Amino acid sequence: MPSGEDLEVVLLTLRVAVVATALLVVPGVLAGLALARYRGPGRGVFETVLSLPLVLPPTAIGIVLLESLSPRRSFGAWLAAHGVEVVFTWKGAVLASMAMALPLLVRSARTAFEEVDPRLVGVARTLGCGPVRAFLRVTLPLARRGILAGIVLAFSRALGEFGATVMVAGSIPGRTRTLALAIFQQHQVGHDAEAFRLVGITVLLAFVALWVAERVGRTR
Amino acid sequence: MIELALTLPLADGTLEVEATLPYATAVMGASGAGKTSLLEAMAGLRRRTRGRVLVDGEALLDDVRGVRLPPQRRRVGYVPQDARLFPHLSVRENVLFGARAPDARVHAMLEVLELTRLLYRRPATLSGGERQRVALARALATDPRLLLLDEPLAGLDVALRDRVLPYLLRLRAEWDVPTLYVTHQLGEAIVLAESVLVLDRGRVARQVPPLALLGADGTLADASHDLENFLPGRVRTHDEAGGVTRVALDGGGEMTVPLEDARAPGARVALVVRAEDVLVSTAAPQGLSARNVFAARVTACARAGADVTLRCSLDGGTAMLVRLTPSAVQALGIENGSRVWLAVKSHSIRVT
Repeated sequence: MPSGEDLEVVLLTLRVAVVATALLVVPGVLAGLALARYRGPGRGVFETVLSLPLVLPPTAIGIVLLESLSPRRSFGAWLAAHGVEVVFTWKGAVLASMAMALPLLVRSARTAFEEVDPRLVGVARTLGCGPVRAFLRVTLPLARRGILAGIVLAFSRALGEFGATVMVAGSIPGRTRTLALAIFQQHQVGHDAEAFRLVGITVLLAFVALWVAERVGRTR
Repeated sequence: MIELALTLPLADGTLEVEATLPYATAVMGASGAGKTSLLEAMAGLRRRTRGRVLVDGEALLDDVRGVRLPPQRRRVGYVPQDARLFPHLSVRENVLFGARAPDARVHAMLEVLELTRLLYRRPATLSGGERQRVALARALATDPRLLLLDEPLAGLDVALRDRVLPYLLRLRAEWDVPTLYVTHQLGEAIVLAESVLVLDRGRVARQVPPLALLGADGTLADASHDLENFLPGRVRTHDEAGGVTRVALDGGGEMTVPLEDARAPGARVALVVRAEDVLVSTAAPQGLSARNVFAARVTACARAGADVTLRCSLDGGTAMLVRLTPSAVQALGIENGSRVWLAVKSHSIRVT
């Protein structure tokens, strides 16, 4: 039977994944749009940097994040001066998840935007829309399915993030120990039954997320 | 009047057009000649366009005076090839997308284009002709000061073309907006346009009245296609006993067609007569079954492909294209200026 502790882990995991995905949506979609439309200099570098988390080990991304967020570094010091503590907090887990999930959202959004017929956008312009309105009324609705798929992918990635999270946030019970970390932890200490219970919960969560995504994707 | 003096670099060459166009102009030319690029440049969709585009004296683009209206401020009704309706919107939402014309006018237009019953359909469920009509309505609802139609009748079979063409004619008669039509069909250009701008590899090859394209040394832009006469007019009377309907032609004269009593007297129609279906006689025919016999004069006589195409002017003023074999022309001794009689069977006239 799931315990109160399990519930705490699930809620923390959901909080991290939801917040990470929510914070990613706007920048991820915009980055996808930029990759689909922008053909100028610097494009290749931008594309490569955005794809790095796909090819690097998560721990490598984690250590880079950890180092740049540390109070010894200027960015980390600036955050600390403003009372924001990231390292070894759930916010750190959010950041780690965001870094790992970003390329998945960007790639889906980019493909979705590339599939929108530019002539439809041209027609919208002649019908009185400026570039922003044409984007909101034509491009975005037509790319909607691909973007939603990207959001689901990003959310799933955030739900199961391990390597980068453990580097940046550690595995502190009740504070940063998400499902993925808890499964590893339980297994390490020989509590395989508990580990499998958590696996079951994870599978359930994944099912619900996919089902919701499917429903949202189908309605207009 | 439309004044053009523009250049636009293309993938393979440059589009360079300098012309003054009347209210109804057809744009013709081989594919790749720059027809679509010209329309897109005028609509403001090609950023690298330089030069000048004036519509009734108002500048949409004028580099010398630093005028460069963005597409949304040009008030150009653009109907691209294949209609390009917004697939995520209903017919109604498509039409109202950029609506600026008064409601009453939009409503009247939906009636004319026979779209009122389709308003809640999705573009994916429409036929080709319906899509073209929706795209036209969408462009017209913005109350444009210039209409750019990219092959509005292409890809439609003959029956569908006959359904859409009368709408274009009505638009011309009722909306009075300067219009450019891209077309491959000389027949369409003859009905719809006062002038034809012929493009060849990005340049203006010539600009002539549509009928002049027939006379020029036997070259007919589409000699391989069926050549059809499109004769706009209005229903005059029905003769139910005689099984015929009489139609007064806009160009003068009257034609008798098989009974079409679904159309009320006064209704606008267009008659379609294939150029091959017209009989020619050098003497006034007698005892002929054909209900339509007109005295006419040959105003152009040109070899087009394997046939000879005659352009005839009926005594009422209406122009009619006739296609004969060279041997018939020779036997009858027909030449430019000949007096002839044209006969058309009622049943070879399609009413649209």
